[in-house]
Amino acid sequence: MSARDVILTAIRAARVPPAPPAEAKVEQSADLATLREQFLRALTEVGGHGTMRLTGQSVDALLDTLLGANRAHTMIVRGRFAVAENAAVYVDAADLAQRNDIVREERMVVIVPADAVVPTMHEAMRLVPAGPGCGWFLSGPSKTADIEQSLVFGAQGSRAHYVILDADENAATAG
Amino acid sequence: MSREFLSPRTGHARAAAGFLGDAERAAWHDQSLWLVRQKRDRATALPEWEALRDAGAALKAHAMSRLAALLEQFERTATANGVRVHWARDAAEHNAIVLGILAEANVTRVSKSKSMLTEECGLNPYLEAHGIEVVDTDLGERIVQLAKEPPSHIVMPAIHWKREEIGALFHRTIGTPAGESDPDRLTAAARVHLRDTLLTAGAGITGANVLVAETGGVVVCTNEGNADLGMHTAPIHIACAGIEKIVATRDDLGVLLRLLARSGTGQPVTSYTTHVNSPKPGGAMHVVLVNNGRTSRLADEAMRSALHCIRCGACLNTCPVYRRSGGYSYGHVIQGPIGAILAPGVDLGAHHELAFASTLCGSCADVCPVRINIPEQLLTWRERAAAAGHAPRGYGVLFPVLGWFLSRLDRFEWGARIARRLQRWLPAALLGGRANPWTRPGRALPVLADESFRDWARREGRHQ
Repeated sequence: MSARDVILTAIRAARVPPAPPAEAKVEQSADLATLREQFLRALTEVGGHGTMRLTGQSVDALLDTLLGANRAHTMIVRGRFAVAENAAVYVDAADLAQRNDIVREERMVVIVPADAVVPTMHEAMRLVPAGPGCGWFLSGPSKTADIEQSLVFGAQGSRAHYVILDADENAATAG
Repeated sequence: MSREFLSPRTGHARAAAGFLGDAERAAWHDQSLWLVRQKRDRATALPEWEALRDAGAALKAHAMSRLAALLEQFERTATANGVRVHWARDAAEHNAIVLGILAEANVTRVSKSKSMLTEECGLNPYLEAHGIEVVDTDLGERIVQLAKEPPSHIVMPAIHWKREEIGALFHRTIGTPAGESDPDRLTAAARVHLRDTLLTAGAGITGANVLVAETGGVVVCTNEGNADLGMHTAPIHIACAGIEKIVATRDDLGVLLRLLARSGTGQPVTSYTTHVNSPKPGGAMHVVLVNNGRTSRLADEAMRSALHCIRCGACLNTCPVYRRSGGYSYGHVIQGPIGAILAPGVDLGAHHELAFASTLCGSCADVCPVRINIPEQLLTWRERAAAAGHAPRGYGVLFPVLGWFLSRLDRFEWGARIARRLQRWLPAALLGGRANPWTRPGRALPVLADESFRDWARREGRHQ
C-alpha cells in the first residue's frame, strides 16, 4: 500500500463519530462610514497609515502628501477590499507583476475602493477567490517582536504601510 | 530515568529547577510571557469571542470527523491547480520526500519559514547531513538556529534570549558591531543578512497554518513576511503540514484567522496572511501531508481533541509552569500545556513526567481558542502513566491513604486534626528539610491553623 492509502485507511479505522459543521456565523452589519472609521482606527493600531481619497482628488498629490516627493523603494498595489475589524486589505497576485512584489519594497501603498470595506473576516472570506492563484491579507507593515518583545517594523517586508481608501474607484468596476 | 520518592526530580522538574536557579532571568521570562497574555486578553475582548471559540472547536471536530474525505478533496483540488501533493507516514518519509524534491532540482540552499512540523521531523539536521544548507528566516528562529538551539516557544522561538545576548551572537555570526544590542539595529542587520541569503535559495520551505479542502489551498500566517520572501522568491515552494491542519471551507478558515493571532500574540490578525492555491507562473509547488502518529491520536477518543490545536501558543503564555520553567524544560518539540498532552502520546515512557508538570489550574483551557480540554487530558495521562508504572515512587502508597482520608467527611476531619497536631509536634527538620520531598529552601510547608474552618464556623454559629 502507498503511504497515502495507509494514512487514509488508518483515519477511517479510527472511526471518529460524525460531528456537524460549525454553525454559520452571524453576519455583522454597519454603515460604510462606521466601517471605514473602524478600519482606519485598526490600521493605526497595527502600525499602518490610512487616508481617504475623495472624489476628484489627484492620486499623485495624495501620494506626495503621504510619501514625500521621493518615491524610491515604494510599491503601489491595488487592493480588492478591506476588513474593518483588523485593518487587513486583500491583495490578489493577479493584480501584481509577480508574487514577491508583496515583500519587495520598503514602503507599501495599497489603494482599495472606499466602498469595499467589510466588517469581519467572515464576510471577507466569501470574497477571496477560490480558484488557482495566490492572495494576501495585509495588515500593517512587516513586523517582529522576536528581540525581547520589542516591536520593530520592517523585519523583512515593508517598513512602512499606507492604505488609501479610494472614493473615486468603485468596487463594482474595480473587481 | 530513576524514580524519586513522591516527587520526580528528573526530566522536567530538574530542568525547571535549573531554570529557576537564575531567579532574575526566571522572573524576566515570566513577565515577558505575561505581557503577551495580557495583550491577548485585550485583543479577545469581542462580544462574540466565546461564540467564536465554540465555532473553532466545532469546525475542528467536524474536520476530524471527515478527515479522510477532506484530505482527498484537498488533494483533488490542489492537484487540479497544479500542486504536487505528497503523503508521508512518518518523519523519515517526510524528510526523504523533501530531500527528493530538492535533489531532483539540484538545490543546495533552502530558506525555511517557521514550521513546528519540520522541527518535529528533524528536517534541518537531516537536510544538512545531506549537504543542503537550511536558512531559517523567521527572526526568532534564525536567532536560535545561529545559536544551534531548538525553539523554546512555538510562536516566539527566542523568547528566552536577552537583547545583549542576541547582540553578542549576531556579532559573532553575522558581523554586527561589538556591543550592539538595540533591537531596531539588530533587526535591520538580520534583514540584510536574510535577504542576501533568500535571493540565492533554490527552494522555499514553509509550514501551513491551515489547509483548506474547498480550495486546495495552503494558508501561511507571518508578521515578518518571511514566508512570502521564501516561497515567492525561489522557483520551488514546499509546504509541509500535519494532516490535522485541514478545515473544510473558507468560512472555517475565516473563524480560525479571527482566533489565531488574537490568541497568540494579541493582534487582530498577522501582518501577512498568505493564501496559495497554485504554483506561481513557471514555478513548482509541493504539499507534503504528514501523519507521524496523528492517526493514533485520532483513534484515541479521550485525547483526540489535542489534534484541534492551531499552535497559537496561548496556553504557553498563560501557564504558570511554562512561564517559570522555560521551553527547554519540557524536552519536547512542542512545549507548555499542549506539549504536555501531546508528548506522552508520542512516547509515554519518555514523556510521562510532563503529565505531572501542571497544577491543573485550568488557565490553558480558559484561553484555548479551540477549547481543547487540556487539564482533563493531563489527568488521563496521569492515570495512564500510573497504570504503566511511571508514577513517582510512593504514589502507589500515598494516594490510596489520601483517598481513604479524603473520600469521607468524618475521616477528613479526623485526619486534619491529626495533621495539625503532627505539624506542632514533629521536628521542623522532618517537615521542611530534606526528608520531605515537597519542600526545599524557600518553599516551606505553611503553618496549619490551630482550628479548622469548619470548627470555627460551628463555634461562631453557637454564639449567634
